[in-house]
Amino acid sequence: MDLSINEDQTQVLDAIDGLTRPYASVPVHDVAFALTSDELDAEIAMSGFYDVLAIEELGAVTAAMVVEKLGRLPFALEAGASSLVRPLVDAELPRPWCLVEEGNLDAPVRFLKPGATVLVVGASGVRSFTATAEHVRDAGDEVLFAYPMAYLAGLPDGMTSHDVPVATVLAAWRTAAAAEAAGLLAGALASVVTYVSERKQFGRPLATFQALRHRLAEAQVLVNGVYWLALKAAGTGDAGDAAMALLHAQDAAKRVNYDFHQMLGAMGMTLEHPLHLWTYRLKALSAELGGRGEQGLAAAAALWG
Amino acid sequence: MDFTWNEEQRAFRDKLVAFLDKTLPEDWEEFSKHGPASPALTAYAAQFCREIAGEGMLFPHWPKEHGGEGLSPWHQQILAEVMWEVGEPRGGQYMNVNWIGPTLMAYGTEAQKAKYLPQIARGEMLWCQGFSEPNSGSDLASLRTRAELVDGQYRINGQKIWTSYAGLADTCFLLTRTSDDRKKGITILLVPMDTPGITVRQIPSLIGEGDIHEVFFDDVMVPLSARFGEEGQAWEIISYSLKNERLGIPRYQLARAALDRAVNTLKTRSRFQREAVRIEAARCAALTEAARIACYAIVQKRVDGLAVGPEASSARFAVVQAERAVCEFVAEFLPEALAGGSAFLQMHHQRGIVAGIASGAAEIQLNIIASDVLELPREPR
Repeated sequence: MDLSINEDQTQVLDAIDGLTRPYASVPVHDVAFALTSDELDAEIAMSGFYDVLAIEELGAVTAAMVVEKLGRLPFALEAGASSLVRPLVDAELPRPWCLVEEGNLDAPVRFLKPGATVLVVGASGVRSFTATAEHVRDAGDEVLFAYPMAYLAGLPDGMTSHDVPVATVLAAWRTAAAAEAAGLLAGALASVVTYVSERKQFGRPLATFQALRHRLAEAQVLVNGVYWLALKAAGTGDAGDAAMALLHAQDAAKRVNYDFHQMLGAMGMTLEHPLHLWTYRLKALSAELGGRGEQGLAAAAALWG
Repeated sequence: MDFTWNEEQRAFRDKLVAFLDKTLPEDWEEFSKHGPASPALTAYAAQFCREIAGEGMLFPHWPKEHGGEGLSPWHQQILAEVMWEVGEPRGGQYMNVNWIGPTLMAYGTEAQKAKYLPQIARGEMLWCQGFSEPNSGSDLASLRTRAELVDGQYRINGQKIWTSYAGLADTCFLLTRTSDDRKKGITILLVPMDTPGITVRQIPSLIGEGDIHEVFFDDVMVPLSARFGEEGQAWEIISYSLKNERLGIPRYQLARAALDRAVNTLKTRSRFQREAVRIEAARCAALTEAARIACYAIVQKRVDGLAVGPEASSARFAVVQAERAVCEFVAEFLPEALAGGSAFLQMHHQRGIVAGIASGAAEIQLNIIASDVLELPREPR
């Protein structure tokens, strides 16, 4: 047992902090549902932070730490699939990576656009293709999630089959989603903590009222749990650990999402406060791989048969 | 990071499990339904602790100079897990091993160390903790049990309540008030429970027979040598003790064992194929494992020689949530277990209610997280 963050990991995380500092807050006039930055994504990719899994002294736990760290930013980055799934399948295929369930092709797909790698996982195995305009149906302005999203217009006739077990990919997918959720939860919590510590009513900060303090403290416990379960799932590669991590993440998201907006009062209804940039991504992740019930069934099967 | 036990740690666990297999009586599960502080379990714990002490496994994490093996906090955690997952056959003596012993080592006089440590080491002592009072529960520093110096002796008057193990304990680790200063007016006395003037009354409890008590002190006289530390030093000393015991009991371990047992029973009764049951079981497992790893992150800090701070309260609250979830799972999906159907699950269920209440209420843990982990501005006093 060793849960210390080693020096290599500290260096990676510090470097990410340095690189992302200009992106740690939301541009003043940006009030979109989703916030993206191609420049930030390119910088991270160029610095190799999406590729740490393959580096021997870093590996999957560090990759999960990177995904978590990037999830705390207000900017939506395709980090999870690239960092934790792509290296297991084919690291040469272009980013962004979009993960799709073979039996659920109607769902909106995060980061889907022409040029993206679409990985289709299911009964037919693990297959991929590079999306072109004909595979992508724009979701227009209707998307209420804080990710860029589009629909699959169809699958190509020929896809590349990959010699990777479906179970391996599913475990990595769950781990990636859990790690990203851990970062989103932490980012949302930090954002609420700042607001309620500054906003005063009845002559004192909202954060001095126990009605909020205990709920925030309970949220901290959940966020901490999701963080550690995600790292553990990355470390063991175990199907049960991965399913429990995503189950706990999706449970936590459901518990805190509206509560966080509630604590902001009327500010929690606006696009002027950036909270939705985390919580409306969490909403999207709560549907990942069928949601909590499916994660529960997957975990139960792995743990008890 | 490595999320698995290494070979040596696994061997240590296996050795402890083998010792339990060899030592615990055949009817242990039935027997463990007795409350942790019942006469039956206390008598058994005394015998068990002598036996495990004989094997050198009562306190392997103690320093060598006090008869331990100087093993790491990981070993202490493994030991606690193995004991707790079968219902804690050490009874109340787990307290001696975890914090009373180490606190004596740090603050005891030579005479106190010489008197108590060898008895603890042989597994012969049972302590109780005279902390809570009728009007001082979570607000411990408001306690009023008074100790006055009279002719070179302390005279104690007052009342303690919800005191575990008091019925059969030899000695009380007693917090008393020696001056009006809220925290610096509290003094520890080590009081033999057979001292004249002490009256113990059992409180009927959900945990089991003989578990919690009221303790009355009427003109109880103890010598100056019973004082532990200086006058007014109690708060500092118990803060030190908490560092040794901040995580508390590894309840996640028994909760997970209870969950696994419940699932296996449901399987044999063909009731585990229902999706609602499977999903809820998985949710319980996720909560126990989240609690476990939050605790391990704290143990890691101790292994690394770092100060354990308020994040321990976060781990403790995670344990409370896990414990409650498993208790509720059993009540919902395997109710017969709580009506005579399973001694083990009944034992777990009875003890589960303690998790959020004893040794610092869950609300106090949330207060600590809010103020010291999230660093929210403090509530007005």
